[in-house]
Amino acid sequence: MTKFKEELHAVAPKEIIAFLAGTLPFNELAPDTLNKLSRKCTIDFYPKGTVIFHQDETEVNEFYLIQKGGVKIYLKDDEGEITLKDFRGKGEYFGALPLIQNTRANLNVETVEDTFCFIFSREAFTELLQSAPKVTHYFLRSMSEKLVLTAYAELRRHKVSTRTDNALYLFSAQVGDIIKGRLQTINRDDSVQNAAIIMAGFHIGSLLVRDNNGKIIGIVTDKDLRTKVVAEGMPYQTPVDQVMAAPVMTIESHAVCFDALIRMMKNRIHHLAVEKQDEIVGVVTTHDIMVLQGTSPLYLFREILAQRHISGLYKLSRNVPLVVRTLIEEGAKANNITRMITVLNDHILDRMLTLLIEESGSPPVQFCWMLMGSEGRREQTFRTDQDNAIIYQVPADDGQARLAADYFQTLGEKAIEHLVECGYPRCPGNIMASNPQWRLTTTGWQQTFSRWMQTPDPMEVLNSTIFFDFRAGFGNSELLRDLRNNLARQAKKQDIFLLHLAKDCLTIRPPLSFFKNFIVEKNGEHKNTLDLKRSGLTPFVDFARVMSLRYGVRETNTLGRLQLLHEGNHISNELFTETMEAYEFLMQLRLVHQLHMLEQDKTPDNHINPSNLSDIEKQTLKESFEVIRRLQSVLVQEFKLTNL
Amino acid sequence: MFSLFSRRRAKAIHPVFARNNSYFADLDQDQPLSSYEFVVFDTELTGMNYRRDEIVSIGAVKIKNLQIIAGENFQTYVRPHKITAATEGTFIHRITPQQLAKAPSLKDILPEFIDFCGSSLLIGHYVSMDVSFINKAAKKMFSANIKNPCLDTMRLAQVYTETCWEQYHDRFNLQVSYNLADLSRAYKLPVFSEHDAMLDALQTAYLFLFLAKKLKQHNLITLRDLFKAGQSWKNIF
Repeated sequence: MTKFKEELHAVAPKEIIAFLAGTLPFNELAPDTLNKLSRKCTIDFYPKGTVIFHQDETEVNEFYLIQKGGVKIYLKDDEGEITLKDFRGKGEYFGALPLIQNTRANLNVETVEDTFCFIFSREAFTELLQSAPKVTHYFLRSMSEKLVLTAYAELRRHKVSTRTDNALYLFSAQVGDIIKGRLQTINRDDSVQNAAIIMAGFHIGSLLVRDNNGKIIGIVTDKDLRTKVVAEGMPYQTPVDQVMAAPVMTIESHAVCFDALIRMMKNRIHHLAVEKQDEIVGVVTTHDIMVLQGTSPLYLFREILAQRHISGLYKLSRNVPLVVRTLIEEGAKANNITRMITVLNDHILDRMLTLLIEESGSPPVQFCWMLMGSEGRREQTFRTDQDNAIIYQVPADDGQARLAADYFQTLGEKAIEHLVECGYPRCPGNIMASNPQWRLTTTGWQQTFSRWMQTPDPMEVLNSTIFFDFRAGFGNSELLRDLRNNLARQAKKQDIFLLHLAKDCLTIRPPLSFFKNFIVEKNGEHKNTLDLKRSGLTPFVDFARVMSLRYGVRETNTLGRLQLLHEGNHISNELFTETMEAYEFLMQLRLVHQLHMLEQDKTPDNHINPSNLSDIEKQTLKESFEVIRRLQSVLVQEFKLTNL
Repeated sequence: MFSLFSRRRAKAIHPVFARNNSYFADLDQDQPLSSYEFVVFDTELTGMNYRRDEIVSIGAVKIKNLQIIAGENFQTYVRPHKITAATEGTFIHRITPQQLAKAPSLKDILPEFIDFCGSSLLIGHYVSMDVSFINKAAKKMFSANIKNPCLDTMRLAQVYTETCWEQYHDRFNLQVSYNLADLSRAYKLPVFSEHDAMLDALQTAYLFLFLAKKLKQHNLITLRDLFKAGQSWKNIF
């Protein structure tokens, strides 16, 4: 009877075991161990808004695994300021760190939905830790993940001034810097109808009014035309000086935007004339200042889409760093940030080309604007060099071919100029749509790629790698889809070409031999700094690319490529997670560094000075470089290379 | 002869029932829910006819300190008296007659189960039906009854719904389904497959945790609060 009884009670309900078996790291456990452990589990329910851990107060004696629902994890500082650290959802856990370190809760944990948790006592958790090497490894690695998170937090604290400084932008940008376009004026005797025509022509909302000596005496706005002319039924020939506001309020061009905003708010007006050495040089509007302050991505999207003039995009692209800054402050990960930058840049490109095509007429044949390199991989940071090209349908005859060549030459050249104005520097290698070499028909591109792959010349291979990261930026993406499909089919058969690519990945030596803890450039402009891109990020990008080509992966984004390679079982789970983490950390480091430079009015680069890093950042960086070594040894095996 | 028989029967009350009946003589109802132990259980039947049908499986799980204790559970098939080819229940719970033939009989299982329940209060979804089947068997086999106070999650769900409605001034929405699976979905609980006594018991346990903690936010804190709330509901209908 007793034996029978034990059997009855031997296991937890099967659905509980099933949930555990589908969750990291429990999936690593042998069935027996899992059954044993599942019996020690208790299940609790926390309505939305329950604070489970109180920072610095709660004695943590249990490990929590979320079965359904979600929690937010946040930090509250002495001033009561709340910093959101993380969200955890189904299958994720909390409480491990304080259990292992035997400390009180170091963060607040609060349910953001009705949440069910599986709970394991300290004893059960300790048993779990010791149950299998893989589980131990999982928690240890996730501990270093926690360290990475701390490293992120430090990054944010050191390198990005705090949120309140956001408003400081209003205090630092000068009015003279944000005025748009040239000053537009009208003579006081001119008709209100002419005023409206000029305003419509320039897409502006106000005109300054000059007297016959050229002196500025007032301002007429579209609101004046609406309320004083149309609504009152005044004749359109009414001279503007009858409806203008006078005298016009002015502000010094060196005044900061905040002063301008205050002056406008005080006087309930939306326009100020900007004065520079007693001369009126432009008009600043509340709208301009709002744009300056607008740091939400959504706001920027709207602004981009609303632009009717390419020149309007120039300024908007400068706001991208502001948006990114907000994201970094809010703790977004590098991958999300670069995706956001990419989306914003894509919108700017889309708008610019749309307007450009409106201006120059429809193309004679279908085409697609190709983005390559980091743009193609959707990994742009700030002010990434342009890497673009044009692919177009094979023209029907010679006449159409000539038309197309001319059309795309003009389009390519103009577009590049506009992009430069938007702040995207030219490609030093001239891989741009303005270069006739990179404006090809579909067949032209097929042949080019085939040539690169079939008769690989080592130098050419190196220079062509970024082309393999192409994606559609604008226009008919079908043209590129065919090219990509062909490439995915062909590339895996081109052993010699792949071998060249793989070999090239081994030439970069990860800076592990430290000089005062770090290898740095020994001379030149970047003395004592570390090139984060060349020795840190590029090896990851190159690894993901060559493996993707080998296995016919069509994705171009590095993390996306790794994900697909992992799903296809071409790289191990461990390598995958380590690589993702290391790559994300390096990207984050680079982003924060570049943002910092931008805010000091410097041109962003990839050279970080290790002495500016905290110990934990250095440690994480070092670990990331170790991952590169592992990637290289994978390539050696994969391609049967002897290590160079 | 007759009197001897009846005396013997009174004496011979099965010890497990004797213990059971003693547990609840003077139950203090004024403690918060977390201080009671509960057994959430469900039975699968050969059919819905009280006179004719029998229990074919029991699933139960314990709740202590308002947490489900996964390892303290009870699950078994029960061999009914008549094993027919298939009953109306077979198509619901999908327990085959072959599985049942190998199962222990209720006479063996019942003391086991009552022992497992110990001094816990019972919880079930429409619990009165499960209890009536148990007590029908208990009476027949042991001439005894179980006396565990019961909480019905169906009724608690009605209380909870009413509490929510009170705040919206929109009292009776008769469209609400109080079926276990429907409630679980409506409350966005983890949902298990139906018609397995163990999983239905577990589902009911989740539902109970949900309701207990939600009702606590509406100031229903002690056992008595829940009993009273459940009764007042009965009065409305």
